[in-house]
Amino acid sequence: MTTAQTVLAAGGAVSTGEAVTFWILAPLALLGAIGMVWARNAVHSALWLVLTMLCLGVFYVLQAGPFIGMVQIIVYTGAIMMLFLFVLMLVGRDSSDSLIETLRGQRVAAVALGLGFAALIGTGLFRALEGTSAVGLDAANANGNVQGIAKLLFTKYVFAFEVTSALLITAAVGAMVLAHVERRKGERLSQVEQMKARFAPGNYPGPKPGPGVFATSSSVATPGRLPDGTLTDGVHSQILPTRELTSSEAAPKGTEK
Amino acid sequence: MTEIGLPPINYGAITPMLILFGASCVGVFVEAFVPKAQRHLVQLVLSLGAITAALVTVVWQADTRTVTAGGAIAIDGPTLFLQGAILVLGVVSILLIGERSLERGGPFVAQAAIVVGSDADRNQTVRQPGATDIYPLSLFALTGMLLFVAANDLLTMFIGLEVLSLPLYLMCALARRRRLLSQEAALKYFMLGAYASAFFLFGLALVYGFTAGTPSGSGDNGGGVDFATIAAAVRNSEVSPALLYAGIALIAVGLLFKAAAAPFHVWTPDVYQGAPTPVTGFMAACTKVAAFGALLRVLHVAFGGASWAYTPVLGAVAALTMLVGAVLAVTQTDIKRLLAYSSVANAGYLLVGALAVNKQGLASTMFYLVAYGFTVLAGFAVVTLVRDADGEATHLSRWAGLGRRSPLFAGVFTFILLAFAGIPVTSGFTSKFAVFGAASGAGHTWLVVVGVLSSMILAFPYLRVVVMMWLSEPGESTPSVLVPGGLTAAALTIGVAATLVLGVAPESLLDLTNRAAEFVP
Amino acid sequence: MTFLAQSPTLQDFGHDVWWLVLLKVVGVFAMLLLLTLFTINYERKVVARMAQRPGPNQVGPNGWLQSLTDGLKLPFKEEIIPLTADKVVYFLAPVISAVCAFTAFSVIPFGPMVSIFGERTPLQLTDTSVAVLLVLACGGMAIYGIVLAGWASGSTYPLLGGLRSSAQMISYEVAMGLSFVAVFMTAGTMSTSEIVRAQANGNPVNLLGLEFTAPGWYAVLLLPSFIIYAISAVGETNRAPFDLPEAESELVGGFHTEYSSFKFAMFFLAEYINMITVSAVCTTLFLGGWRAPWPISAINDGMFNQGWWPMLWFFAKVLVLLFGFIWLRATLPRLRYDQFMRFGWKVLIPVNLVWILALAGIKTLQNKATDDGTRYTIIGALILAVLLITLLWPSRTPAPAPNLEEQLARRPKGSYPVPPLDLQVPPSPRTRRDVAERQPAMAGGGAATDETGPANSDEKEV
Repeated sequence: MTTAQTVLAAGGAVSTGEAVTFWILAPLALLGAIGMVWARNAVHSALWLVLTMLCLGVFYVLQAGPFIGMVQIIVYTGAIMMLFLFVLMLVGRDSSDSLIETLRGQRVAAVALGLGFAALIGTGLFRALEGTSAVGLDAANANGNVQGIAKLLFTKYVFAFEVTSALLITAAVGAMVLAHVERRKGERLSQVEQMKARFAPGNYPGPKPGPGVFATSSSVATPGRLPDGTLTDGVHSQILPTRELTSSEAAPKGTEK
Repeated sequence: MTEIGLPPINYGAITPMLILFGASCVGVFVEAFVPKAQRHLVQLVLSLGAITAALVTVVWQADTRTVTAGGAIAIDGPTLFLQGAILVLGVVSILLIGERSLERGGPFVAQAAIVVGSDADRNQTVRQPGATDIYPLSLFALTGMLLFVAANDLLTMFIGLEVLSLPLYLMCALARRRRLLSQEAALKYFMLGAYASAFFLFGLALVYGFTAGTPSGSGDNGGGVDFATIAAAVRNSEVSPALLYAGIALIAVGLLFKAAAAPFHVWTPDVYQGAPTPVTGFMAACTKVAAFGALLRVLHVAFGGASWAYTPVLGAVAALTMLVGAVLAVTQTDIKRLLAYSSVANAGYLLVGALAVNKQGLASTMFYLVAYGFTVLAGFAVVTLVRDADGEATHLSRWAGLGRRSPLFAGVFTFILLAFAGIPVTSGFTSKFAVFGAASGAGHTWLVVVGVLSSMILAFPYLRVVVMMWLSEPGESTPSVLVPGGLTAAALTIGVAATLVLGVAPESLLDLTNRAAEFVP
Repeated sequence: MTFLAQSPTLQDFGHDVWWLVLLKVVGVFAMLLLLTLFTINYERKVVARMAQRPGPNQVGPNGWLQSLTDGLKLPFKEEIIPLTADKVVYFLAPVISAVCAFTAFSVIPFGPMVSIFGERTPLQLTDTSVAVLLVLACGGMAIYGIVLAGWASGSTYPLLGGLRSSAQMISYEVAMGLSFVAVFMTAGTMSTSEIVRAQANGNPVNLLGLEFTAPGWYAVLLLPSFIIYAISAVGETNRAPFDLPEAESELVGGFHTEYSSFKFAMFFLAEYINMITVSAVCTTLFLGGWRAPWPISAINDGMFNQGWWPMLWFFAKVLVLLFGFIWLRATLPRLRYDQFMRFGWKVLIPVNLVWILALAGIKTLQNKATDDGTRYTIIGALILAVLLITLLWPSRTPAPAPNLEEQLARRPKGSYPVPPLDLQVPPSPRTRRDVAERQPAMAGGGAATDETGPANSDEKEV
C-alpha cells in the first residue's frame, strides 16, 4: 500500500484497482467460507479457511490497514491455521465427519438459522451503510499506519494491552495443567540409565542365541546355548516344553548320505 | 514521528486489580519453586491474603469517582460496590476451593493430563494431593472480573471477559472424580464461550461503526468504543440506528451468555454439573456478579439513551429465562443441575432488575447479586458435604431421608432452599421484592407478573427436595453428611449468616447500594 | 542527474508506468531463476572443493552449465503420483512453495534511484510500510507448501517430514521475527528501502562523555539479533545442519519423497530461492543493503553508491552469505530433532527477548532527556549488579572425572566382559592374502594402505 493509495482510500474514493481486487477476492473469500463448511475432509476444510483468511488479509491491506493485513496473514494463516493443520494431519486422512445426527433435525435447523442470521446481518448492514461515506481514515493514518496503531495501543488502550499479558499467562498455565504429565524420578529411564541397566551384572546385553543353536538339533524346542555352554531361557516359545534330545534322537538317522 | 506519552493512570484506583494480578503471578512462581508439600498452604494463604488486601483497598477507595487509564477504567459507586462484592464472594469461594479434609487431597485432580481410567489415574485419584494451580487460576479469574465491572470501553470489557473466562474454562476441567464429565463440561463451556465472545466482538465492531463521526474522548472524529462516545452517538448520531441495534443485540448475546440467560443458558446445567463443586459455586456467585455488573454498565451508561429500543427484546429474554429456568428445574433429578436451572431462573430475575434503567433498578440488582451470591455459595457448600465412597452423591434420590440422618445440615439446606424460593425472613425475599419493586416502578409490570409466576413454579422443585429430605426414610444408599472441615464450615456459616441477616435486616446493605448506585458519566 | 544519488523513500514507490512494473517483475523473476541455477553449481563446486573433489566439471565451461542441463532434464522425467495421494492438494503444494518463494523477493531493494529508459525509478520492485512483514508472511505461507506436500503424498515418511517441518519452521519463524524487532526499533520503520537508508550513516553515540560514531550496519550495532537471524534463517530454509524435514537417514527424502518430475523441480527451486531470499533479507536488514562497504563507500564522495554500482555490492553480499550456507552444509552434522527444537525455544527465543528488553532500556536511556548523572548511575548500578551476581554465583567444583581404567575397576562383579584396553587385534588372514596378491612387492608388510574411500556422493544431485 503506497501513500498515494492510502490517501485515495482515506478520501473515501474507491480506485479501479481496489474495486477490481475486491470483486475478484470477495467471491473467493465467500467460496472459501462455504467450502470450509462443505468439505468432507478436515484438511480440505482447513485449506478453504486459509483461502478465506488470505482474502481477508488482502482486504485489510486494501482498506489502508497494511499492518493488520500482514499480521492476519502471518499470525492467523501462517501460525494458527498451521497448528490446526498439524493436529488434523495427526488425526489421519481418512477421518471424515460423522454424518449421524444426534439431535433430530439439527442440521436443517442449523442451516436455516445460519442463513437467516447471515441474511439479517447482511441486509441490515447493507441498509445501514448504504450511502454512508467513510470518515476518520485520514486522521487514523496521518502519521503512518503502524505508528497510528502504536499510538492507540499505548495511549487509549494501554490498559487493555497490558492486561492481555494475564491472558497469555493463563494460557501458558492452562497448557501446562491440561497437557503436562509430571514424571516422578525413575518413572522413565533416560538413555544413559537404560544403557547402565542393560550392562548391569545379571543382564545379558546382546541378543541371545536362538533355539537349536549350538545344540545337536535344529528343533525349535531345543534351548539355545550361551558361549560358555549353559542353556538359555526365554528364547524359545513358551508353549513348547523345554527338553534335551535323547541320544537316539540325536543320533544320525542314516539319511544324510 | 510524533511523541507518544502514556496517559495519566490513577494507580490508587486500580490497586485492587494490580494486587490480584501480582498475586496470581506470584502464585504461578510458587507452583514452580515451592516444594509440593507446602504449596497448598502457601497458595491458600497467598490467595486469601491477596483478596483481603484487594478488598481493603476497595474499601479504602470507597469515595473515589474517576475515569482513568486513558478512559479505559471507570471507578465509581457501582464499580466499587461490585468489586467489593466479587472479592467478598471470592474469599468464600477460595475457602471452599481450599477445603481438603472432606476428601483426601481435596476436590481437584492432581494431574489433569493423565488419561482418565489409566492406572496412573486410579492411583492419583485416591492418593495424590490435588493440583494447586487452581489458586492462581482463580486469582486470574477474579482479576478479570474486577476489570470486567470497571471497564469503561467495550474493548477493555472484552479483554476483561476473556481474562475472567479463560481460567474458568480450565478450572472446570480439574475435578477429581468423574473426570470425563468434568472435561466435557470444560470443553462445552470453552466452545460456547468462544462463540459468545465472537458475538460480543462482532457487536463491538458494529457499534464502533455506529459511532463513526462522533468525536471521541481523544478528540478526533473517528468514533470510539468508550461508553461516553457511544452514549453521545446514541443521542445524536446521524448514522443509521440499524448498526446500533444490531450491535446492542450482539453484545447482549455475549454478556447474557456469561450471565446464563435463556436462550444462551444451554451450557449452564452441564457445566455446573461437571465442574468441581467449589468451582461451580465460584461461577454461580462471582461470575454472575461480574456478568451483570458489566451488563448494567453497558445498558445504563452506554446504551441508556436507547433503552426504549432494547427493553422489549431483553424483557422477552428475561421472561423466557425465568420460565425456562423454573420449568426445567422441575424436571431435574440431580441436585447440581437443579441448582443450575435455579441459577438460570435467578439470572432472569436479575435481568428484570437490570432492565429498570434507573437508580432504583441499579441498586436493587446489585443487592440481589450479593444476596444470591452468598446463598448459592452456601448451597454448593452443602452439596460438597453429602458424599459416599465415590465422591459427592448428587442424585436427588440419594438425598431422600437425609433429614433423619443429619438434621443439622438438612436444616441448613432447607433454609437455603427456602431462600432460593423467596420465603420471607430470607435474603431471597428481600432481594426479589427489591427487583420487582424497581421493575414495576419502571413500568415493567408484565415482567413482575411473569417473575412472580415463575417463582411459584420454581418453589415446587425446592419444596420437593425439602419434602424428600425430611419425610422419607433413610435407605441403604443414603450417603452420609460429613462433618465439614474448618474452611467449608466457615464458608457455610458466612453464607447462611448473610442469607439470614440480609433477610432480617437488609437496611444497611440496601442503603449502601442506594448510595453506590450512580455511574460516572 | 542528481536524483541518482538519492536513496528512495516510500513516496517514490507506486508511480511506475505499467511497462516498467512489468520489466521489474520479469527482471526479478529471471534474476531469481539464474541465481538459482548459479547457486546449485556454486554449492556443488564449493562442497566438492571442501571434500577434495573437483565437483561438476563436464557440462559447459568448467561445468557451470551442469545445473541448467539438470534443470532441463527434470521436467521431462516420468511423473509418478502415488495412488493414495490427494490429487488436488498434491498438485497445489509445490505451487504454493514456489509462489511464496518468488513473492518474498518483491520487496528486496537492489539499489538506489536509477534511470531506466528515461524513467526515474527505485531499483526495487515495490516497497510498503510493512515490507519486512511481507517477507515474514511469505515465509509463513511457504510452510503450507511443505506440510501439504507431506500430507497429500499419502505416505508415512513424507507425512513425518511435513510435520517436522511445520513445527520447525513455526518455531524458527518466531525467533526470526523477534530478531527483526530490534532492527525495527533502531530503524524506526519496517520498509526495506528505509531500513537500508537508516544504515547509511553511522550513528553518533555519546558514551561517558566521549563522542564517537557507531557503525551503521545493524550486523555490528545489533550483533545478537544478527546472530540469531543467521541461525534461524538456516532453520527456516531447512538447510543443513537443520535439514530435519528431509533427513535422508531417517525419512528418505522427507516431504518430497513421493514427488518427481516438474513438481519436484518446483520444490527444488523454492528451496534455493528461499535460501537466496533469506540471504537478501539479511543483506538488507543487517549488512547495509546495496550500499558499498565502508572503505569503498568513502571513495570519490560515494561514487560507488550511485547508479547501477550498488547491484554489485548487493550480489557480492548475497553470495558471501550463500557461501556461509554451503559451508555449514559441508561442515556440520545434522542435529537431533529434540536438540534442535530445544535450541530454538529455550535458547534463541529467550535470548532474543532479553536482548530486545535490554535494547529498549538502552534506547530509553538515550532518548529521554535524562541528565548524565542518572544515566551513569543506572549504567553503574547495572554493572554492579552483574558483577555481584557473577561474584556470588555459587561455584561448584566438579569432581574429577574418573579415567577409563578407574571406571572399569569400578564396575560390579559379574558385569559384561569388555576387551582389555591394550588389545592387539591380529590382522585377518584374508586381508593379508588380499594385500599380498595386489602388491606382491610389499608382501607380508602391513604398510600398504588402502586409499579407496567411497567418493563423496552429492546428496542434492538430481
